Amino acid sequence: MPDEEDLTLLARCRAGDRAAFAVFVRRHQGAVLRLCRALTSSAADAEDAAQETFVQVWRALSSTDGDKRGDAPVKAWLLTIARHAAWRRHRRRVGEPTHTDGLEAVDAAPVAWGALGEAAGWGQDPEARAAAVEKKACVQQALQRLSESDREVIVMRDVLGLSGDEAARALGLSLAAEKSRLHRARLALMAHLGACREVQS
Amino acid sequence: MTPTMKGERHVGGLWCSEVLALLTRYLDGDLTDDELAMVKAHVGDCSACAQFGGAFHKAITALRDVDVDSDSSADDVDVSDRVLAAID
Repeated sequence: MPDEEDLTLLARCRAGDRAAFAVFVRRHQGAVLRLCRALTSSAADAEDAAQETFVQVWRALSSTDGDKRGDAPVKAWLLTIARHAAWRRHRRRVGEPTHTDGLEAVDAAPVAWGALGEAAGWGQDPEARAAAVEKKACVQQALQRLSESDREVIVMRDVLGLSGDEAARALGLSLAAEKSRLHRARLALMAHLGACREVQS
Repeated sequence: MTPTMKGERHVGGLWCSEVLALLTRYLDGDLTDDELAMVKAHVGDCSACAQFGGAFHKAITALRDVDVDSDSSADDVDVSDRVLAAID
């Protein structure tokens, strides 16, 4: 989706054009809702978080301080707002702080890829994972079982198709940390796919 | 480096665990020419890595547009009316 079309729409929104804003919402609500569903694990919370996201966008566009997007791509900017809205909803429900912030140091630490690879099923019979990949329920279940930080990076990159740079910006990470986290998340997904009961039974 | 996975081999200048560490960069087209040549040489002669790499790629492809909520699709939801009502 070319950014220029979004920038044109946002310029019209900034001038108070509600019809343009409705178009912007419809263009992006699929991605915002998918991310919010993945982070809140609740369709109702996700819709509330999506509404909150777009209301915040409208207010930012109307603000005399500017929208604070800087040079970020529109989608990365929008999903940053959505990510925070979703975590706020989730925290309100589960009542505990999420552990997604301040992980930069962890991401920079050396990773024991061998141990992660074995857990992900390297060297084992690939049939179980091949069968699990074919089943939508197994893929959904594996996504839900990922840690919060693994889930958000994989949803941004592999479900929504953001570029590495866009996802890194939306997550507030360096590109190197984002790539490392994505690889760890993908290996963890493989481990969960291998444990899908629907295939084992 | 020393092997860290049971049964891993040293093929094409890389251990299996080293290939495993490069898989995401490989799929994202992010390897240097030298790294790419080594990974290809390894995978061409290592069935464990070839099989795992294939399954890994399939799993990532299967994620595209998956909805985490299994009961309904996010595509069927339209929040634009409630958003417009909220900004009044």
